[in-house]
Amino acid sequence: MTGATNGHLREITRRTALGALGAGIIGASVASWPRLSGTDIPGRGDNSLSIAIMGTAADAAARQRAIDAFTRLHPEIRVKVQAIQAVDWKDFFTKILTMVAAGTPPDVVYVATEGAQLFAEKLAHPLDEYVRRDAADMAEFFDDVHPSLVEAFMYQGSLYQLPMDWNAANMYYNTTAFAQAGLERPADDWTHMDFRNSLAAMRKARTSDFTPYYWTNRLFGGVVPWLYANDTSFLKETRSAGGEWLWDGFYAKDPSRSLRSGGYQWLEPNANDDRVFESFDYLRGLVKDGLGVRPEEGGGSSLVGLFASNRIGTTPAGGYWVQGLHEAGMGESDFDVQFFPRWKTQRHQFGTAGYAIMKTAKDKDAAWEWIKFSSSREAMELIFPNPITTPARRSMVNEQLYAGKGPAHWKVFYDTLDRFPTTGPIPAPPQQAAVETALMKNVSLAVSGDERQLKQALASMQRDLELALRRQS
Amino acid sequence: MSTTTPHRERPKRAAGPAASGVAPGGAHTKNPATNARHSQRWLAWIFLAPTILGMGLFTLIPIVASVVLAFFRWDIISAPTFVGFDNFSEVVQDPTVRVSFLNTIVFVVVAVALQLGLALALAIMVQEKMPAWLRVFFRSAFFFPLILSAASVSIFMRYLFNEQFGVVNWFLSLVGIPAVPWLTTPGGSAAVVILVYVWQNFGFSFLLFIGGLASIPVETYEAAAIDGATGWRKHLHVTLPLLSPTTLVASVMAIISALQVFDQPYVLTRGGPGDSTRTAVMVIFESAFQRLEFGQASAIGVLLTLIIMAITAAQFRLSKRFVFYQ
Repeated sequence: MTGATNGHLREITRRTALGALGAGIIGASVASWPRLSGTDIPGRGDNSLSIAIMGTAADAAARQRAIDAFTRLHPEIRVKVQAIQAVDWKDFFTKILTMVAAGTPPDVVYVATEGAQLFAEKLAHPLDEYVRRDAADMAEFFDDVHPSLVEAFMYQGSLYQLPMDWNAANMYYNTTAFAQAGLERPADDWTHMDFRNSLAAMRKARTSDFTPYYWTNRLFGGVVPWLYANDTSFLKETRSAGGEWLWDGFYAKDPSRSLRSGGYQWLEPNANDDRVFESFDYLRGLVKDGLGVRPEEGGGSSLVGLFASNRIGTTPAGGYWVQGLHEAGMGESDFDVQFFPRWKTQRHQFGTAGYAIMKTAKDKDAAWEWIKFSSSREAMELIFPNPITTPARRSMVNEQLYAGKGPAHWKVFYDTLDRFPTTGPIPAPPQQAAVETALMKNVSLAVSGDERQLKQALASMQRDLELALRRQS
Repeated sequence: MSTTTPHRERPKRAAGPAASGVAPGGAHTKNPATNARHSQRWLAWIFLAPTILGMGLFTLIPIVASVVLAFFRWDIISAPTFVGFDNFSEVVQDPTVRVSFLNTIVFVVVAVALQLGLALALAIMVQEKMPAWLRVFFRSAFFFPLILSAASVSIFMRYLFNEQFGVVNWFLSLVGIPAVPWLTTPGGSAAVVILVYVWQNFGFSFLLFIGGLASIPVETYEAAAIDGATGWRKHLHVTLPLLSPTTLVASVMAIISALQVFDQPYVLTRGGPGDSTRTAVMVIFESAFQRLEFGQASAIGVLLTLIIMAITAAQFRLSKRFVFYQ
């Protein structure tokens, strides 16, 4: 074979190879086009009802039994659940908004208090017409659900969601740590000073590798429960008019009927209030005296493990903590729960969550049927078989749910609403993300220094909140 | 005095029937050389297409879009409204934005100095003092943090530096040092963010310096030794000048990377306490994805890009003074 021929052959071979490579790339692109364009996503492009929840694929699978039950009831409505993983609710809402911007919004979204007003203001469709229309069916639900939870989803007189689950910030305590310090179970009406004394006793009993009070810097369970107990908040809380259609229709005989409104409003900052200063100063004292930690930014992930290993005395949390402690190896008598300590009031904070119908939903009637079904006792028992949260239905917060897991005083969870009817949702206006950032960024500084630093931090918080509330979210 | 450049003429085709494309008898033929050039050009475009497409779709269009968006108010949900330079004036007046840019500059100065200093010192040590087999180990070991997810590393570090239960404070307690509030005080949190960032990123600069050191001829050191340069004087007068091109590249890349720091402060401290560890990119993220102010986020992004470009240009301009090429 001559060199020329050899070279010619080599050239042909290279061309052939390159051609084959190009054809392969084009072929692969064509073959994977459904993936590249997202058309292979189950339910994309068809008429099924798409429901977005925060969680993993496992969380979506856990709802399958509820979906099956719904399909038996409504074979004409196809349902698909999209689990969206997120760091927190803020992150989840961002992803939903991105889907909206991309032109692929879900029909129904599971929204917590943090986003309730953002959705009500911009994205969600009110449920009023459906609730009125199906009043006979819905009466049983409202009979079983405390009005405070419902009111948290009222916005300017309209109802946007039905509460499915909720959690108040109660006080968990380690029974071993209490016993070591010679402490009995605290009284229902223990005060913030009783609480401080309990912390001091625990600190005295265990001087190292132990924190009497562990708290995190966030909207739920951070500084807000103390502000509420001291009858204040970092935002001025008002109520909007309206909502009579709901309260007179379903809660006419409720003892707290007169308290109910068209929904909460947080329109102005309140960080310069004297009681806000007093509450922060109390927490600053706990930190200074080694009774409580400086709250970490974005912390909380290690809390269950630390509490389960008997290195934390007390921490604020809700019913959602029970399953986690059980899985971490805590016995039902190793921990217990009590109401948050009383100060000027014993008002608690809570967060709740439920389904919202998007304005863009293809079939709002079908979406409502899903919401109505989800609010039924049957569906809620399928969705919440374990104490991973507190069900909104009073009848479901029962001995059976906490059997073998604790706490002994599980009744505290729902009694929080019954005993303290002014208990309210965490402050979450439509600009919640900016508001929460403004709060969190100043808390650590407020409780970590001297009185001058506390005043500076609160002044800074007031400024940041003014800016956050002025902004369009 | 004006000079004229000679006009470059196209090479003339050789005369003859083949060259003119007319075959004997008058029939036209294709020129094989031209055909080859054409097909090669097409082939080149085919190979370049994916890159051009990718760059256009995922780099060029987003850049242009974000510059355009900087002049609009847009929250994803409503239609964008043109606001001119309002976003720029608002972000310039925003104290949080100003503080975050200042933090970023301080962070760049400290972190880059530490990163380059540590990388250079370790590179010299490894190159000079280690046997060949151990050199391979250290190169891999120092580079390893870079391939880890910054978020995962930061989560892990948050546990290490926890004031109450962290391993770091436990070790300190063994020698009688009281618990340090690493992540809950401005100074402590800034120190941890810098420390974690440098630990994770110095490996890249280290590898650049290793490469640079390997390219310095041994004869240069021998000559310097004859002239009496030993120990640190040898490095001062030989290594550093000859390593200056590598140092330039390493510093440019380190500064650009540090100006865009996000993962470590976001996961470790969420920018707190206060605004003490809030960086420029964190503010972009918060504006866009927490406050839904995409116009303002774009405006901050444009400002940050201009700053990065200015700093990089200044670096290259200054490099003429201190970079020596062999």
